[in-house]
Amino acid sequence: MIICPNCQHENTNGSVFCAECGEQLDGVETLVTQAITEDQISEDLRNQAPRPEAEATPANSWLSLHLMDSGKIMPLASRNEFTLGRLSEGQPIMPDIDLTAYQAYASGVSRLHAVVKRDESNVVVMDLGSSNGTYLNGRRLTPHTEERLSHGDIVALGKLKIQILLRNI
Amino acid sequence: MSDHLRDYYDLLGLSRDATPEEIKRAYFESAQKLHPDKNKVAGETEIFLNVQQAYETLSNSTRRAQYDATLPPAAPTPSLPYEHKIIYSRRNLGKINEPQMLYAMLNLDAPQETRRASSAPLNVSLVIDRSTSMQGVKMDTVKATAIQVLRNLRPQDILSVVIFSDRAEVVIPAAYHLDRARLESRVQMIQTSGGTEIYQGLEAGAREIMRSLDPKRINHLILLTDGRTYGDEQQSLELAAKLAEQGVGISCMGIGSEWNDIFLDAISTRAGGSTNLIVEPRDINRLLLEKFDALIQTYAEDATLEFKPITGVELSRVFRIQPDPAPVPLNEGKIHLGPILQDTSTRVIFEYIIQPTEVQSGELTFMEASLKVAITSHPFPVPSLRLRLQMPVSDPSSPGAPPAEIQQALSRLMLYQMQEQAREELKKGNVEKAARHLERLATNLLTQGERSLAQTVMFEANSIKNNHSLSEEGSKRMKYGTRMLFLAPPKKELAQ
Repeated sequence: MIICPNCQHENTNGSVFCAECGEQLDGVETLVTQAITEDQISEDLRNQAPRPEAEATPANSWLSLHLMDSGKIMPLASRNEFTLGRLSEGQPIMPDIDLTAYQAYASGVSRLHAVVKRDESNVVVMDLGSSNGTYLNGRRLTPHTEERLSHGDIVALGKLKIQILLRNI
Repeated sequence: MSDHLRDYYDLLGLSRDATPEEIKRAYFESAQKLHPDKNKVAGETEIFLNVQQAYETLSNSTRRAQYDATLPPAAPTPSLPYEHKIIYSRRNLGKINEPQMLYAMLNLDAPQETRRASSAPLNVSLVIDRSTSMQGVKMDTVKATAIQVLRNLRPQDILSVVIFSDRAEVVIPAAYHLDRARLESRVQMIQTSGGTEIYQGLEAGAREIMRSLDPKRINHLILLTDGRTYGDEQQSLELAAKLAEQGVGISCMGIGSEWNDIFLDAISTRAGGSTNLIVEPRDINRLLLEKFDALIQTYAEDATLEFKPITGVELSRVFRIQPDPAPVPLNEGKIHLGPILQDTSTRVIFEYIIQPTEVQSGELTFMEASLKVAITSHPFPVPSLRLRLQMPVSDPSSPGAPPAEIQQALSRLMLYQMQEQAREELKKGNVEKAARHLERLATNLLTQGERSLAQTVMFEANSIKNNHSLSEEGSKRMKYGTRMLFLAPPKKELAQ
């Protein structure tokens, strides 16, 4: 029996992909998304009050990600949808925004963790069934459900905290 | 014998340890093909007489033993006019007390030297649905494409065109045609009317193919429809099975979203063929021309695999990855793997579930099969290839990573399977589970960079939640879209 690290489904020995969620079970991938406790996340978030920042971004970007631990601002443009996650070697999974450089693995970020996208009037975030969950201002989101984002919101992918900076759209 | 290099076994396409039943069957197959009443090619009567003599010798055990004594020792591996390779998902089986899975991938290739050779002539029937719903751009595109196909034909090819509604009509009979301009005008004159009775079309198309049925040609029926047929499904399936036995392949093309995908899949896969979804009428042109290209490139029309059940080993799934990705139906120990093209490998993946009782020690034989490949343009029957697939049992097992080809194929198969699972759960009324499968499928599609298909899948997941059903169009897009992913290189390669 192989227990899927992503969804805990019990797969027959010898399976290569999880029959339930499609996670690769066998082979090159040795890193597993690190499990972190609920307490840790809430604790960290309580200490962190949301504070919108007036950071200069390129004129064409509709969204900037403020990586709160490193202070880095990432302006995003050109598309209406970005997946967030971390690259892992030997897997054909490539998020649009790779957070490996920001301690993603240690913070419990899944390879494909969440997506942010915009339509005519809203910017939304959706958790993609990640192991450690996505939090919006400290509240855990239901996977595969879109949640509206406002300027200054703090989204946590596991323990990795990102402040959302919106331009008026 | 006229050809000293060939012995009686070669002549009948048999291995030296053939059973009396195999000898009998091989003789009947050859005799049917070569009977002097049928063959017109000079020299075939001589071959027929040799076949007769071979059977008389081999069918009698005393004569066979005497004959065997005169033969030089058999070559260790019989030379086959195609190449085969099998790879496995693991190196050994674990000695464990629970069921385990194993995958094997069979690759079949035409030999290098034939890849650029000129190919066999065609005997194709194009069976077109002319029901009222085809009116307009659909029928216009079909007509224009049929004319293009006519113009591209080589002099040796035979093409018949059949149209059907509630009855069928032969627009172009199967024959060599000199005045192709007149044929074009007949195609131009096709008008739409009536309903859709697919059996009528299949039956008329089959009759045209049978008139010039020839093992040296690529015999194939292409069905184009945009609708559902009622009441004649069983008849149609029986006809498809009969055509498969005669070596006639079937491809189906469903236009729009109103056709019955389960039915067309059943018809086409029965003969090792496949079904295509045509979303936009303008794609009719590209897909039909591609189909003719593939037919012209056919090296062997159908590879069939016969196997015996093995205790404790379940062959749970067979899927052809290329050239036309499609599930291979598992019926009664004989399966049609489909054609071998001149320059594209045929790849088929097999999934086995092995029970713990069978992995006590040593080595497990998990598949015993014989592979028969009918090669067009090959004068003698090709010997069946005996496949005996084995795997050592070890304690503890050291699975190791599966080879890249298997990993890649399975990553796509997993996507196809997820939407199939969603359908099954929906059928059972498990709305929640069905929607969850689709949501997970959408996530996985996103990771592979398939944004537009992911969107379709998300839309269908919502449709399940809200209406407890899939939309006709989205359902087909998911099924055929995930199949097509087998052919596409990954959109996102790993950045190194």
